[in-house]
Amino acid sequence: MSSKINTQIVPHPCPHLAEFRRTSSKPFRALHACLRIKPPGGRAALRRDPDEVPSCAACGLSAPSRLYSCMTCAAVSCHSPAAGSSSHAAAHAASMPHGHQIAVDVDRAELFCCACRDQVYDRDFDAAVVIAQTAASTLGGAGSPAIPPPQPENLRKRRRVDYRPWAPDLRERATIATCSGPIAGAGDNSSPELPWGLRGLNNLGNTCFMNSVLQALLHTPPLRNYFLSDRHNRYFCQRKSNAGDGVGSNGPKRRGGNSGGSNGSNNARVCLACDMDAMFSAAFSGDRVPYSPAKFLYSWWQHAANLASYEQQDAHEFFISMLDGIHEKVEKDRRKLDSEGSGDCCIAHRVFSGILRSDVMCMACGFTSTTYDPCIDISLDLEPNQVGSTKKAAATSNHSCNGESDLMSSSQNCGTSTLVGCLERFTRAERLGSDQKFFCQQCQVRQETLKQMSIRKLPLVSCFHIKRFEHSSTRKMSRKVDRYLQFPFSLDMAPYLSSSILRSRFGNRIFPFDGDEPDAPNDLSSEFELFAVVTHSGKLDAGHYVTYLRLSNQWYKCDDAWITRVDENIVRAAQGYMMFYVQKMLYYKATDKQVAL
Amino acid sequence: MRASVNRPPTPTPESEEPQDPELTLREIINIKLIESGEKERLKELLRERLIECGWRDEMKSLCRAFAKKKGRNNVTVDDLVQVITPKGRASVPDSVKAELLQRIRSFLASAAI
Repeated sequence: MSSKINTQIVPHPCPHLAEFRRTSSKPFRALHACLRIKPPGGRAALRRDPDEVPSCAACGLSAPSRLYSCMTCAAVSCHSPAAGSSSHAAAHAASMPHGHQIAVDVDRAELFCCACRDQVYDRDFDAAVVIAQTAASTLGGAGSPAIPPPQPENLRKRRRVDYRPWAPDLRERATIATCSGPIAGAGDNSSPELPWGLRGLNNLGNTCFMNSVLQALLHTPPLRNYFLSDRHNRYFCQRKSNAGDGVGSNGPKRRGGNSGGSNGSNNARVCLACDMDAMFSAAFSGDRVPYSPAKFLYSWWQHAANLASYEQQDAHEFFISMLDGIHEKVEKDRRKLDSEGSGDCCIAHRVFSGILRSDVMCMACGFTSTTYDPCIDISLDLEPNQVGSTKKAAATSNHSCNGESDLMSSSQNCGTSTLVGCLERFTRAERLGSDQKFFCQQCQVRQETLKQMSIRKLPLVSCFHIKRFEHSSTRKMSRKVDRYLQFPFSLDMAPYLSSSILRSRFGNRIFPFDGDEPDAPNDLSSEFELFAVVTHSGKLDAGHYVTYLRLSNQWYKCDDAWITRVDENIVRAAQGYMMFYVQKMLYYKATDKQVAL
Repeated sequence: MRASVNRPPTPTPESEEPQDPELTLREIINIKLIESGEKERLKELLRERLIECGWRDEMKSLCRAFAKKKGRNNVTVDDLVQVITPKGRASVPDSVKAELLQRIRSFLASAAI
């Protein structure tokens, strides 16, 4: 039911609720004083005074099925949905002349219509409850509210620009035909079976960690579109930075020194984005001879001097470091435009950065501290051990939203780790025990806490990094975990969003939670498609990285200079180390081929 | 003002006679649990355990299936509760029940009722 609210299909009020709202001027005002938030879970309940033990007015029981308080006269009655047994709440509604149908569940603070026998929703009521709950879990309610102030009805007015598909009309088609030609080599049938941009990368001496990540990046749709549409032109960028130097003091001289090979001043001019641009040009040039990304490697060495060697490196470390390199350069270029963390600063962050939310709730008083952290990727732990994990498999298998391969997981193999299972564990509330107490600002002492992670903002491209390299501090040694992890080709991230996670804490409400944009097509942007998998084979200190790419729904294996078409079952069976998912609306399927017209 | 007119007579404590000694003991325990805040803690614990063991997901998919069968606009909460409750009660793992019972026992021992 919450998913319906999530996608903003707000249920219509039943006639009784509509009538109730119409006849009473301030329908829920009396309830505000009765809202109580109880510590451990921070859930809302209704009590006239804090210690009241409510009981049914008709039978006197305080713990039958559910207790409802009439919204009109505050009489508390019990209600059991079983067909045979009588419901005192329904009887109460029927015995009164009219207008006593709407009641509120005293333990959940949710509205119920006794005549329709169904839950009903009211925007104002829900907003009041959520605000009370939020106020109870933040310091005095005065601090920065984690939830925006309620704007009951006019939220809907904040429309986004609608997406409209575009197709060229006749005149535009003519213009396109006269002003552009097919990409050179489009008709060339050197290797007709390979789609555009697939080109092997030579191994420059233990650089498969780099090649594997670069292959994934070369086929990251938003990144590819950015570079191929000339948004970062390396010639222009170079001229600009040279000009910038020239303004300084002695530009020409410095440039001369640069070409002579002195490294000192070179660092300022390293631009990984320029090298990416060059690589994109090379990969999409139509030439199929394996390409050597030597220039890129050199630039990266200058950026990350501590990793500059011919040794094997970690692909994930390289990924983080090179995105960082692109980001840093842009920051240097325009220092004043400070948009750190917002994800608008550079192409690397625009594509990959999301925001994680972490809530730490004190188990004693319910005070919650929330922090937001930008992230480039999400690192996931493999499940610790496989013994006795049948229970866990049962828990993860019922996620109907992540269809396809999940069905497989439930039917054929109990006990296999799945990416969905990892994500579920990542966002599950975790009780921090007595050995790792947190300082609670409200209690002013260290308390046991409940920690929960969720995703506030999804990136355009989600990179999941599976922690396969384990370091044990007690044994002072590292090892690689060679366990299989099942990953779906289509992934729905909605259950891991802050809005979904928060919603479960507040009950069933019509209320825009953190990250909810009332009119944004939430559904669409939370669906992801897999397009690249970086796999690692071998041991901790010596191994090999291979990337599988999905282009036009066909899989290709990129093993340094060699590119081969592979069956999807090979990919499913591979030991994934990094998985790249792109938002479904940015994923190109069959239309990919029509680019050449 | 309308509210006060329609207010039903407040039941006097004398009018509700204890129906059954066992039931009243149950009531007393319930009240103790509520007053001490233990009930909230137990609820939270139960919620956590039922999520962990997959019970909640199981119920969710049962509800989904039922709503699908009956038609999306044709289901009320009462229908759902009525259909799902027996299945739900039956499929709570024994270990969860045992843990909760143990917690209640130790609470009663410490409260010395």
